[in-house]
Amino acid sequence: MKGITNNALRLSAMALSVALVLGACSSNNGNGATPAPADNGSGSKAETPPAGTGEGAELEQVELVWYYPQPSNQPDLQKVQDAVNKITLEKINAKVTLKPIDFGDYTQKMNTVVASGEKFDIAWTSNWSFFYGPNVTKGAFQPLDELLDEYGADIKSEIPSFVWDATRVNGQIYAVPNYQTVTNREGFVVQKRFADKYGLDPSTIKTEKDIQPFLEKIAAGEPDIVPFGMDRNGGFSAMANGIEYVGGHVIGIHKDDPYTAIVTPKTEAYKNNVTMIREWYEKGLVNRDAATVKAFDDIVKTGKLAVVKDNVMPPGGEVGEKLSNGGHDVVYVYLTEPYTGTNTIITTMQAISRTSANPERAMMFINLLNTDKELYNTIAYGIEGTHYTKLSDEMVQINPDAGYNPNSNWVFGNTFNGYLVEGQSQEIMDAVKHENETAEPSPLMGFSFNDENVKAEIANISALGDQYSPGLGTGAVDPAKVLPEYLDKLEKAGVEKVREEVQRQIDEWRKANGK
Amino acid sequence: MQQTKTNPGQVAINLMFAVVSLLMILPLVLVVSISVSEEKSLLTNGYRFIPESLDFTAYKLILQTPGVLLNAYGVTILVTIAGTILSLLMTAMIGYAISRRDYRYGRITTFYIFFTMLFSGGLVPSYILITQYLHLKDTIWALIIPYLLSPFNIMLMKGFLQKIPGEIIESCKMDGAGELRIFFRIILPLSTPALATLGLFISFMYWNDWWLGLLYIDNQNLVPLQLMLYRMMNTIDFLSSNLRRLNVMIDLASFPSLSSRMAMAVLAAGPMMFVFPFFQRYFVSGLTVGSLKG
Repeated sequence: MKGITNNALRLSAMALSVALVLGACSSNNGNGATPAPADNGSGSKAETPPAGTGEGAELEQVELVWYYPQPSNQPDLQKVQDAVNKITLEKINAKVTLKPIDFGDYTQKMNTVVASGEKFDIAWTSNWSFFYGPNVTKGAFQPLDELLDEYGADIKSEIPSFVWDATRVNGQIYAVPNYQTVTNREGFVVQKRFADKYGLDPSTIKTEKDIQPFLEKIAAGEPDIVPFGMDRNGGFSAMANGIEYVGGHVIGIHKDDPYTAIVTPKTEAYKNNVTMIREWYEKGLVNRDAATVKAFDDIVKTGKLAVVKDNVMPPGGEVGEKLSNGGHDVVYVYLTEPYTGTNTIITTMQAISRTSANPERAMMFINLLNTDKELYNTIAYGIEGTHYTKLSDEMVQINPDAGYNPNSNWVFGNTFNGYLVEGQSQEIMDAVKHENETAEPSPLMGFSFNDENVKAEIANISALGDQYSPGLGTGAVDPAKVLPEYLDKLEKAGVEKVREEVQRQIDEWRKANGK
Repeated sequence: MQQTKTNPGQVAINLMFAVVSLLMILPLVLVVSISVSEEKSLLTNGYRFIPESLDFTAYKLILQTPGVLLNAYGVTILVTIAGTILSLLMTAMIGYAISRRDYRYGRITTFYIFFTMLFSGGLVPSYILITQYLHLKDTIWALIIPYLLSPFNIMLMKGFLQKIPGEIIESCKMDGAGELRIFFRIILPLSTPALATLGLFISFMYWNDWWLGLLYIDNQNLVPLQLMLYRMMNTIDFLSSNLRRLNVMIDLASFPSLSSRMAMAVLAAGPMMFVFPFFQRYFVSGLTVGSLKG
């Protein structure tokens, strides 16, 4: 009996090790089978002419696999893919397989795909879903500088250079940004009916505090309306206080002193903000349940929030806000000038996978996607006549029942190449473009924090943030008591260590970039 | 004749079951009521058991393009039926083999199965196996094969089959029956109760599964029902809690919102709710009749 058990053990141990070895091998294969991208590029230089010259037929036909996120399933995906392939076959002799994944699952699914070493060519990445920085660190993407020079000259010149700088990690570009609004602007979104009724003059609002009298008037005059609406992220406007986040959730820099890392909750500005919000809370100026609100848009839709804070505020954004505000017109009250930083730019990008067998063709495709209006509009809006109707040369009307309405053209490429959807105007697009080019760039443009050395501390700090910041940020708890407690726990969780690490990396980055 | 007296114990038990039943029925009523409520009143008043005004736009919205829903239904039904039959057959076969005392490697095999119950390969290796070695990605088999054998089910089956006296098999052999004949003609009919129980487990597992679809299915035509639901909810939650902080624009107005989500849930659960009670009667009778025989 003992003998059998031993045998069984031995057998299973063997089975286990075989499984382990197989697993290890296959992931090695996934990475190792692909030659270094630089070699690949130079090796195929001779026989592959650059894209966009109409010599597609001379290229060997390849298949590309492209993962990107979508808000919902599109029944007509196959039709659109056929239409896309018609264009790509003709121009770069490549067949593209579209692999849309729903937004909610995208990070999880792509992590599995990358970890398994699956072969695919292009993946969408960002700083909010399937994270860019960590995946570059993991080695999931190929560096693109040489590929861009070789096959992406068109996109390279089309997008301003500070946008490219934002995508650099250790000096290398690892993803092509989908050019769109790259500026942020903080301020208040105010329902017009109240702004008019209670005589709000936007020019008098310079700081967050200045809106308080207006909120008090609404509280007194409109019993059914919440004067200031928040979700659990609270009401702290970092940029309006001159702070930009650079590492983790609490480490930032001050605009006036951009190369010194600070711990945001320790700043005077944060303290003043939470004290002010507490005062608002006690006066009944904010929604009582703010600290637990996650699905904020559902509340905004009721049209019962007179004022909310916003930190995107693109030119012409008021039009879109109307729909999501229960059909009430809104006005923007700005607290800052438009600014742009790494985080406002890397919100939507395409990267080429380390496992791609044809990186140069993938780059040609990305290039085409960003420069060929026909291709871009096909994938963003579908097939003319079926999925949309042209109202004029530049404007289309979407047919919502037709089976293809991805409703997210910024996932695919340069949005300035797209048709205008009914209701949008060319002036607004031009204003966005103008604002992009004139916005105040962050002094740390292109700096991105690598959290490798302080992962554990960051995890602890973000857990603390989850615990404390909803209460503090929405005024639900008394900052006089809770803020010291929060700061104390942050200290114990190693916030200083993270700050020092950020500081060290900023110093290194300055040296490397001569700032 | 005895007079019926109110027995306090009886009352307590009845009360308890009444509460339990309510706890099960109320959420269902709430879901149905939300699905026929007006979106606006949901946003302003919250969820209510009795809708303020009846409104069927949510159903209209979904049934406008019923193809997707029907297709998802088809996939789930196909997977459940094929999966349950195949899985039952394989579970019974393995369970039978390791329950035979005259199978020399019975112990090792049992341990091997037991071992996989304690230590599994994990997500990434299984993903690699399915996609890169078996090439099942985007096929209907990816939804069936990974769940074919569950060690727990095999152990249950083995436990049941061990109780069948070995003499039955001996006597069959003497009458000249081959192994396959013994298995299909004698063993399977004898183990109906076990098969019915396991069949119920397995079919639920297949019916409720969305995980395999999430991992292995990109083709829209192979998306099972539960995955479709899961994706809708997950994506809406994700977007509505993230969008406000980002530079990106999605028109959330075009999303199925609260009432449509619930309507979807009703449409997805509905038929199963009506079908199940009928099936359940057979399951239960199968179980009792079987146990008498056994």
